[in-house]
Amino acid sequence: MRNGAEILKLGTLTITWWCIIFGAVWIACYLVGVAIPMLLSSYDSDAARITAETCRALTPILSVLVFIPINAMFMVLFERRGLAIFTVRLGPNRVGPDGYLQTAADAVKLLFKEDITPHGADAFMFTLAPIVFFAPSIFGAMPLLAAVTNYHELFQIVNLPTGIFFILAASSVPVVGIVMGGWASNNKYSLVGGLRSAAQAISYEIPLVLSLVTICLLAGSLDVVEIMKQQAGGILNWNILGGGALRGLDSALALKFSNSAPALQELSAKSFDQVLKTAYSDPAAAALGLVAGQDSMATIASIIAVVVLMACVLIAAGLYMTGACAEINRIPFDLPEAESELVSGYNTEYSGIKFAIFFLAEFTNLFVVASIFVVMFLGGGDCPVPAWLGNMLGGPQMASAINQVLSPLIAIKFVDPPTLFAAIWVILKVYGIVFFAVLVRGTLPRFRIDQLMDFGWKRLIPLSLIVFVLVVFAREFVNVHVGS
Amino acid sequence: MEQFEMLKALAETNVESFMFYILATISILLAYGVILDRTIIRSGFILIGVFGSICGLFLLLQAQFLALAQLMIYAVGITLVVVIALMLTNPRMEKSQLSTAAPANQLGAFMVAVGLFMTIYLSVRPENWTLSSEPLDMNNVQVLGRALTTDYSLPFEFASVLLLAALIGAVMLAKAEKPPKPGEEDFEYSVVEDSAAEPVASKR
Repeated sequence: MRNGAEILKLGTLTITWWCIIFGAVWIACYLVGVAIPMLLSSYDSDAARITAETCRALTPILSVLVFIPINAMFMVLFERRGLAIFTVRLGPNRVGPDGYLQTAADAVKLLFKEDITPHGADAFMFTLAPIVFFAPSIFGAMPLLAAVTNYHELFQIVNLPTGIFFILAASSVPVVGIVMGGWASNNKYSLVGGLRSAAQAISYEIPLVLSLVTICLLAGSLDVVEIMKQQAGGILNWNILGGGALRGLDSALALKFSNSAPALQELSAKSFDQVLKTAYSDPAAAALGLVAGQDSMATIASIIAVVVLMACVLIAAGLYMTGACAEINRIPFDLPEAESELVSGYNTEYSGIKFAIFFLAEFTNLFVVASIFVVMFLGGGDCPVPAWLGNMLGGPQMASAINQVLSPLIAIKFVDPPTLFAAIWVILKVYGIVFFAVLVRGTLPRFRIDQLMDFGWKRLIPLSLIVFVLVVFAREFVNVHVGS
Repeated sequence: MEQFEMLKALAETNVESFMFYILATISILLAYGVILDRTIIRSGFILIGVFGSICGLFLLLQAQFLALAQLMIYAVGITLVVVIALMLTNPRMEKSQLSTAAPANQLGAFMVAVGLFMTIYLSVRPENWTLSSEPLDMNNVQVLGRALTTDYSLPFEFASVLLLAALIGAVMLAKAEKPPKPGEEDFEYSVVEDSAAEPVASKR
């Protein structure tokens, strides 16, 4: 641990910036969503009521608009410091206390830079490209807000029945911005970058979408809040373990560790569907299909199905991460901006505020794909400790102690405990995924374009199709043999 | 909350038709832009805008799934491939290089356009459609999915077979290369030999 001091510094930096980011977002949401409507409620007029409702309805978009710029500043700094640790350097540590303000200074510099449109460029398209690249990442992430805030009432309006499909459709638009920018720059390097980006995004979108479709199939819903709610109840219920192998694992272990009937009742209330619910009279056996009276073949089939389900979903998670890295052009898939070949790819000719928008969108996209991963695979704002284990470790007492401390804030509606805990878990999980992406960036070299295409079309797409079909059958087997 | 419901009801009555006219105007203007723009790649990008505003029309009809599929597949996927094909085949054309079509061709194009318009208009006339007064299900994706996999599964499968045939056809067209000569086990090397690399051939 020679670089222990550096890791400690990165940790303090991260926590400081989290406090800045989420404090700002939280205060903004509180002011607009709760404080102003509360003040206005004292006036008894239609205008006041309509203003209050408008404020409440605008909270989600406001929270995103506050969040994106500050978060991008932090993520750039986090990535640079993280990479510095992986490559045994120091990283930016001069501006402000220990480099905390480095990216803020960079942002100011970018804002004041001259905005150049190159000679022979298509000026209109050149300006439109950053907008087309950035705008979808704002409104594409909206349904996720409902999921990551534990369905808080202020964020309910952004939830859609087509949630994950909306997110996918919106996140497929930015590639148009890249191609547009690459073409409009009147620069061969930019054009090649844009073309590469389009080819890569179209090829890698297929495994990405198929892996998410697998999860939707497992959950039986496209609604992100619905998928998040199904995974409630600890790590054993998360989709990364095959939806807790369809919610049987948790109960099995709970039965093993505590024989209390109420806990079991509570768990079986969270069962996946009616078929499973009937089988929860004997959860430990039901989890593995060991229902009494079944022949051994059926039991073995069900055990195999559970194992296959878990393996398949793990592979799907890997496919999602690979596809997402390619979609947002991160190393090892950053061919569109391969600086050793293409200067800087599609954004070579951009400067000033337009370049800043490209940069902002890139890091926002990283955050968005990490949030999708967290909501779809890691249970959203769910505490990883299962309920029965939490009860044994004194979780309720801790929660009530925290509530006691926060009670003045709860009284003025500044803090809503379920949302607060969900938000904390989401932040930890999402930045865990972001840290993983940084680690990958510091570890892997860049693919060659033909290797990239081969890997996408000949490996990932067939694999994702196989996983999809296997999950269809495995899910059916787990259900059928549990239910009988 | 009651006020909010009232506002929503108010919005649904007037704003919907208002939004329809705005979106229709945008899509028609953009469609003109596709035809009139002399830079062919730019008209490709404008086509993305046309599909985007049609996606807005679907949203107004509360067909969320169709709207998103329109955005994802037509606006981004297919049109982008078209734009890329244009970029690879047809670099920036100056205005002087483009000439207007001969009068006979113009007349032919006009006739084709009129014929297409009449066909589409006659098939989508309102009297050919039975209107249902049933309220829309909020979660109409489920309804759509169930219909596609139960009542309409055969047409659905036929459509996918058609797409598969088109896909295989496209692959066969794109792969229009000579089959490897007997005695050459690796196809990729033969391409290298054909072009310039004589030493490789002699070695092998």
